[in-house]
Parts: sequence; C-alpha cells; structure tokens
Amino acid sequence: MHNRQRLAASDAPDRVGPAKRLTRAKVEEAVAGYLFVMPSFFILFLFLFVPILSALVLVFLKYDLLTPPRWAGLANIRALFTDRRMVTCYWNTLRFMLGATLLNNVLGLVLAMGVNRAMPRLLKYVLRTALFFPVLTTTASLAVVWSFILTRDRGVLNYYLQQVGLQPVAWLASARWALTSTILYDVWKSCGYLMVLYLAGLQGIPGSLYEAAEIDGASRWQLTTRITLPLITPTAFFCIVVSLIGSSQVFDNVFVLTGGGPGDASRLIAIYIYELGFKRFDMGYAAVVSLTLLLALLLLTLLQFWGARKWVHYE
Amino acid sequence: MSESLRSQPQSLDLRLGKGKRRVHTRKSRQRSPAQLLLEIVIWTFLIVMAIIQFAPISWMFATSLRAPARSMDLPPSFWPTDFRWENYLAVINSPRIDFLLFFWNSLRIAVLVTLGQLLTCSMAAFAFARLRMPAREQVFFLFLATMMVPGTVIMIPTFILIRTFGLIDTHWALILPGLTSAFGVFLLRQQFMTLPGELVEAARMDGAGFLRIFSQIMLPLIGPGLSALGIFTFLGSWNNFMGPLLYLRSWANYTFPLAIVMLQGYMGMGNRAHVLAAIMISIFPLLVIFLVAQRHVIQGIALTGLKA
Repeated sequence: MHNRQRLAASDAPDRVGPAKRLTRAKVEEAVAGYLFVMPSFFILFLFLFVPILSALVLVFLKYDLLTPPRWAGLANIRALFTDRRMVTCYWNTLRFMLGATLLNNVLGLVLAMGVNRAMPRLLKYVLRTALFFPVLTTTASLAVVWSFILTRDRGVLNYYLQQVGLQPVAWLASARWALTSTILYDVWKSCGYLMVLYLAGLQGIPGSLYEAAEIDGASRWQLTTRITLPLITPTAFFCIVVSLIGSSQVFDNVFVLTGGGPGDASRLIAIYIYELGFKRFDMGYAAVVSLTLLLALLLLTLLQFWGARKWVHYE
Repeated sequence: MSESLRSQPQSLDLRLGKGKRRVHTRKSRQRSPAQLLLEIVIWTFLIVMAIIQFAPISWMFATSLRAPARSMDLPPSFWPTDFRWENYLAVINSPRIDFLLFFWNSLRIAVLVTLGQLLTCSMAAFAFARLRMPAREQVFFLFLATMMVPGTVIMIPTFILIRTFGLIDTHWALILPGLTSAFGVFLLRQQFMTLPGELVEAARMDGAGFLRIFSQIMLPLIGPGLSALGIFTFLGSWNNFMGPLLYLRSWANYTFPLAIVMLQGYMGMGNRAHVLAAIMISIFPLLVIFLVAQRHVIQGIALTGLKA
C-alpha cells in the first residue's frame, strides 16, 4: 500500500497531462471490467448466493410450501439428533462413495495404462471409444436400460448367471444387492471418464525418465512401480477428490434404478433430501440436512488435502 | 496350441516394436514366459472391459429393433437380428405422447443454456484475465468459492426461489440458473491468461473499444476453450434429470430424460422395444457429437477435468 503510493507520487511530477488521461483510462477500464462481469455475477448472485443465504434462514423455519412459513426455532436442528434414517442414508452414501471411488479409480488407472500402450491407431480408437462412450450418455435414461438388464425375471444378467448354473439374483429388489447394483452402474458409467483423466496424467510423465531408467537396466515392473505410480499421484489425488465429491451427490442413478429401496437399503443422502422436501414437504428440515452435507463435504475435502501430503509426490 | 501361443507374441512384438517408446523394443529381447502371460492378461482384460462397456448399448440397439412382443424374450441379442424400424416410427408417431416435442424441448433448453454460458462466461473471464479493476481478485475468489457448493445442497432453497418467481412448469426454471457457471468463467479465464497481454494494450492504442477488443480480437483466440465449454454445457443440459424432475409438471414441457423415466412406468411392462427405441432416439445427438468431436470431448476432459 505504502509502496504503491510512493510510486504514484514519484511518477506524478514527470507527466501531469498523461497521468490525468491515464486515470480516466483506468476508470474506463474498471467500469468496462465490471460491466463485463455483471451478467455472470448477477446470475450467480441470484441462483447461488441467495439460495445459500436463504438455506441459513430456512433452518429456523417450518415451511411446507402451501401454508406460510412459521418460526420453528431450533426444532429442525434438534430433530437431526434423533433422525435414525439420516444416519442410514449417510452410511449408504459413505459405502457408495468408497465403493464407487475405489472401483472407478482402480479401473480408470488400469484402463488408462492399457490404452496408453503402443498399439495400432485403429485399435486404440476402437478401444477408447467403447470404453468412453457410456460417459456421454444420459444417466437417467441408461439407468432404465440397466434396470431391464438387472431385473430379476427375464433380466439379461440373470439369464447368463443361470446359463453358468448360478441362482438368479434380485439385483435391484433385494436389500443385499441394491446398493451394490447402483455402484456397479456408476462404475460402468464413470470409469471411462477417469480413464481419460488418468490418460492425460500418464501422457504428462516425461518419456526421458523411462529412457534413463531403461539404460540403467530397470525392468518393466520397476518402471511401473518406481516411475509411473509415484508420478501419477497428483493426477490420482485430483481424480479421487473429484470422484468422492461427485459420488456423494449421486441422485439420478439411484432414483431410477431402485428409488432408494428396498426399505432404505440404497437410499443415498441426495434422495433423502429430495424426499424430505418434495414428499414430506418439510423444507426447513430438508435445508438442515443439506447443510450437514455441505459441512461433511468441506470436512472431507480438508481431510484429503491434509492426508495428501503423505502420499502425493509433486516432482 | 503351443505354436499358436508362440506365434502370437511375435506378431505383437512386431507391432509394439514400431511404437515410439523404446521400452517395448527392449522388452522383445528378454521376454520370459511370465511376461508373455502378463501380456495375455492385459490384452484379455482390455478387450473384456471394452465389451462390457459397449454391451448394454448394443443390447439396447438390438432389442429396440425386435418385435415388441418378442422384446422380453431370452436369450438376449447383442447384435440386431430383427430390423423393425417401425418401432422407431411407432414411438415418434405415438398418438398420446408427442415425442418430437420432448426432442424440441431438450434441444431448445440445451442450446439456450449453451449460448448463454458461452457469452456470460467468456465476458466475465475476459475481464478477470485482462482488465484492471479494483477488487478483481477478491470478486474472482468469490466466483471460485461458489464452485465448492454442491447442487444437492441448494436444491431446496433454489426450488423455493424458482417457485417465488412463478417459474414452475416453465423452461425458464432450467434456463435461467444455467445461463452462467463459475466453472466456465474459471476455465475461460485460464485460456485468456495464455494470450499475450500486449494484445489488449496495442488494440487500445489503436483506439479499439473494450467490446471490440473482446469480440473481435480475444474471443477468436480461445476457440478450444469455448468448444470444450460448449460441448460439456450442452451435454450437461441434455442429460439433466433432476432439474426437470423438480420443475416441470406437464407432459408438454418434459425433456427427454424425464419423459423416458416417466414413460418406462407406463409402457415398460412387456414392451421393452419401444422404450429402448425412445432411449436410442434420445441419445442419438450425443452419438453424433461424440463421433464428430471425439477429440475435442476427450481433450476437453483432460484439459479441465469437466464431467459430462
């Protein structure tokens, strides 16, 4: 601050005329800048800041959309501590996040390493296209396709299970398999996306490292464990953060495949918030649960950045 | 058996040897049975995964062409055996449901949202990257902070807001909040930052206004960023399910994903062919985008970490 003033003061005597014009130009530039930012800022303000702030107010209200909101004090927050269903939903969400993140990242990395190998161009194109296409498709619509595949009677998967002599499984209708099925659908849908991210990471590793290690007589196993894996950790960190946050929000997948059932077996927190709001019409309490999700995600992100120091290698 | 095994790796070696990486040429000299086995495992895994990833889509296509009465029959086919294109006509001409209307609704919303985002995001990004204004970094930080807030968290208050505006069961409920994104601003700002700063200075010296500098000099230079943002915004809007589920009430306003999930309830029993034909129609534009712009899509993801 002081520095800048001193600079301005020392500049001023030399050129009074241009300095004046310069300040006018500066004002013009600032005005133009804010005009450019305005449309974006206005929309973000209206549809992000306003909702966030009103969520903080909703916490203290009892509001069912039809009758005017009533002051509820801390009742909504107190209700949190006796909500067993919320705990179940968070538990399901946690299991979904861990399962989906683990499978997506392991598969994504392995597929990326596979596709990154030297091979004919056409083969590479075909492999990449087949592996990636599910990413682009509509989650909700393809979940309908998967519900036909996974259905117990006359389902495609069970047909093949029976062909090899196994019992048919109620993939979507049994408490034992419902959550697993939604995880598998998520992995089918997203592992190609992670593959592309890891592929970009792999291609960012300088080839000279491999050449140098080869001259020193490193085996392929050593190349993988000593060069590829350590140097992919920054990419892996990014991918894991993205997949954890993404999988904590999953809605379409479960809404279409199982609807959260049977019972609460596959009810994730996003589905629960939706139902609190639009089936129970308890907007205040739904807002409270949403905020617990926000807090949980912030905490998780901080934790990950803290934990990352232990396993992420930046060159 | 042993001969076929022996001949396979040789042909593989030839191909790998032509690769750019020296890693492989070296390996060819010292290949042991263990490595050969590893090679087979890797290739089997890759091919099986590619088949698994593609099988549901080819099953959908094959089944959508079966006679409706036979669409539940087993064994399933992954390659079309029947070619009943009239299923597609039946879906499009269905008397009770105006299917082309869903197409139009989805398209209209996606196009408006995409154009809006390209415009508002590039404008804000230009200012944040290249114009000097007070508190610029602070305002930009505020933009970034909004990226931390997940959509699920503000679902309830946003719904109340949209309802207060009287926009329930209109497309505006989906278009207005989508007209900008903090992420788009961030992405395009990165692109503007790569351009030399003197460009703006020089153009100003020549007397060009900011609007002109932005639209005629800067914007054409960030084509890759714009195309990545455009493609992903379009895909995101086309694939959006939760928004329409929350805001749209009447069939005439439905978008594709919502219509398909609702239709499944009505006609999914016993007639998979028509439902699958409907889904094929709805993902057809995605297929076209992918085939035309695959490189942009993949580079865009690698560049930005954007999720489709």
